[in-house]
Amino acid sequence: MTRISRRTLLAASALPLAGSFLAPRSARAEEAYILGTLFPMAGPNAEYGTIFTAGAAMAIKHASADKMLSRPLVLRAEDSEGTPQGGAVGMNKLVNVDHALYVLVGFTGVSKAAAPIGARAKVILVNGGGVGPDLAGLSPYYWNVIPLVPDEIKVLTPFLIARQLRRVALIYVNDPFGNGLYKALKTDLTAAGGEIVAADAISPADQQFSAIAARIRTLSPDAVYFASYGAQQAQIIKQLRDAGIGQQLLTYSGAAIPSVRNLPEAEGLILTAQAADWTVDDPITQRFVTDWRAQYGSDPTPYHQNYYNAVRLFALLAQQLEKAGKPVDGDALRAALLATRRFALVGGEGVFDDLGDISMKIVVNTLKSGKLVAIG
Amino acid sequence: MLVLQLLVSGIETGALYALTAAGFALIFGATRIFHFAHGATYALAGYAFVFASRLGLTWPLGGLLALLVAVGFGLFLEAAVYRPIQRHHGAFFTIFVAAFGVVIVVQSLIELSFGRAFVAISTPLTRAHEILPGLYIARVFWLAIVVASLVFVSLGAFLARTRAGIGLRALSENPDLLRAFGLSARRLSALAFALGSALAVPGAVLGAATTGLSPAVGAHVMLISLAASVVGGIGSLRGAALAGLLLGIVETLVVAFLDTQWSEAAGFVVLFVFILFRPSGLFGAAVAR
Repeated sequence: MTRISRRTLLAASALPLAGSFLAPRSARAEEAYILGTLFPMAGPNAEYGTIFTAGAAMAIKHASADKMLSRPLVLRAEDSEGTPQGGAVGMNKLVNVDHALYVLVGFTGVSKAAAPIGARAKVILVNGGGVGPDLAGLSPYYWNVIPLVPDEIKVLTPFLIARQLRRVALIYVNDPFGNGLYKALKTDLTAAGGEIVAADAISPADQQFSAIAARIRTLSPDAVYFASYGAQQAQIIKQLRDAGIGQQLLTYSGAAIPSVRNLPEAEGLILTAQAADWTVDDPITQRFVTDWRAQYGSDPTPYHQNYYNAVRLFALLAQQLEKAGKPVDGDALRAALLATRRFALVGGEGVFDDLGDISMKIVVNTLKSGKLVAIG
Repeated sequence: MLVLQLLVSGIETGALYALTAAGFALIFGATRIFHFAHGATYALAGYAFVFASRLGLTWPLGGLLALLVAVGFGLFLEAAVYRPIQRHHGAFFTIFVAAFGVVIVVQSLIELSFGRAFVAISTPLTRAHEILPGLYIARVFWLAIVVASLVFVSLGAFLARTRAGIGLRALSENPDLLRAFGLSARRLSALAFALGSALAVPGAVLGAATTGLSPAVGAHVMLISLAASVVGGIGSLRGAALAGLLLGIVETLVVAFLDTQWSEAAGFVVLFVFILFRPSGLFGAAVAR
């Protein structure tokens, strides 16, 4: 008589149970377009994850309400932790387990880790938050719906020279984004007749900046530029101001988040960011802004706009492919993007180049009572 | 003047590290429980203070609320998490995993209640003023020194001169013998948690005003507490306090000579040096093998 082991029995009894969970999941995967998100959802950069997701969620709501596609859009989230390692692990799961065909990503390091996995699986990655210079043309399946930091530096440099802010001390996070920004700022500022008088690299986990402040003070720069993320940015601003650094503080679009905007010490901060004109009277922008204000009681940020646009871009491309009777996959989406190039997005018409990067106007802003006010 | 400025900053940072590390060392020294959730106590105390500040309460009232939250949390963990595990002969590792889980839960609760963003208290106390050419000192520096000194003097007197204090020191050595003297090991363990958690409060309150807080702040605090406990000598209160001060000074002062990236690493270089050449730490007892 054949003996049935306890393990076999357990496996057999678990099969129907496993089937009941797996079948609907795979069925759902066939029915829906799975969009993945690879954002930091915990830790010091979790604030970005919340912001990015909110923008994407509203776009899904609008696309569903408009019945743009024959299948529903479903978001599957993976926590990138804001690190390359987290990005690689999360991307693998989104591609191999969730079978996502379009993944929203933020952060330079995360993008660089996830892009090769996306390229191998022909899964489109769309970045609306990372601005590192290396992100241009990272892979044919990697697109940017946010202007990258070299564009921001190009706008900031003449502004600094015109205001006689020539000697700049830099505090930058030592990762692909920070190093890329340092290189771009040094090149552009030196070419324009300015100089970097100090460049202090910090770790993304650092919390004490009083020592850096003491060193910067001895150099008497005209301005201090910091390039960091999330909670750390607010800590840098507060500790520099507390340490008696009264010079103009400068930064990039990453500081356009509530924890920086609501910090009293950040008043007067100068930061570059894509132009966000919510008074534009095209119906897409107006619908987005009106619904946003109704839901959240405040104006959206450029990050909300970018991730809304990223999802809207998918809906427009997939709609185009569905109408043509073509499959919606990485190759088809890429071909449709390059064939169309111009899309009606929030903020106006979005135009993509050969690398899949959007071009947008950059402005110099200052923070006044928590709001971005364009000054150049 | 840069070195002097960095030394001042280092002493301020070190004083706060010393207080927090001493709390961890007190708990570990008395109970031999690896209280990994000590960083969570720091975070909860800091956020309680921020909450009080948002309600418009004064600093003393905010500090009191932070103290109640920290001590309550410490006592709760001792009674509801660690003691049941120990009752079932839970291993050191089981306690560590339980504490680690608590850290995650606390972080999530803070995120749910206060959001994931950075929070800080804006106060004139943290604004530095030039007291000598090139030397800037904020009033919070003096506050940190005074608070740390008062706490350590009071704690030293309590541990040396009171029956409960002496009992705490004896707890880790021989809990059975304590009973012969009419002391309860259970109550002393709770006292260790109450006192150790209370020691995290000054650092958390001043940290909320100086460096600010984020839900994940506990991890950094725990790392420093652990390093200070090893450098100071496992279980030694004065060792942890001195090592906390030393780590604060080293990680700040190193900026005068090396790249800023070495700042945090310098503290851990000190840790490695101690592990290699003096594993018993500053005040730990050497063990013959």
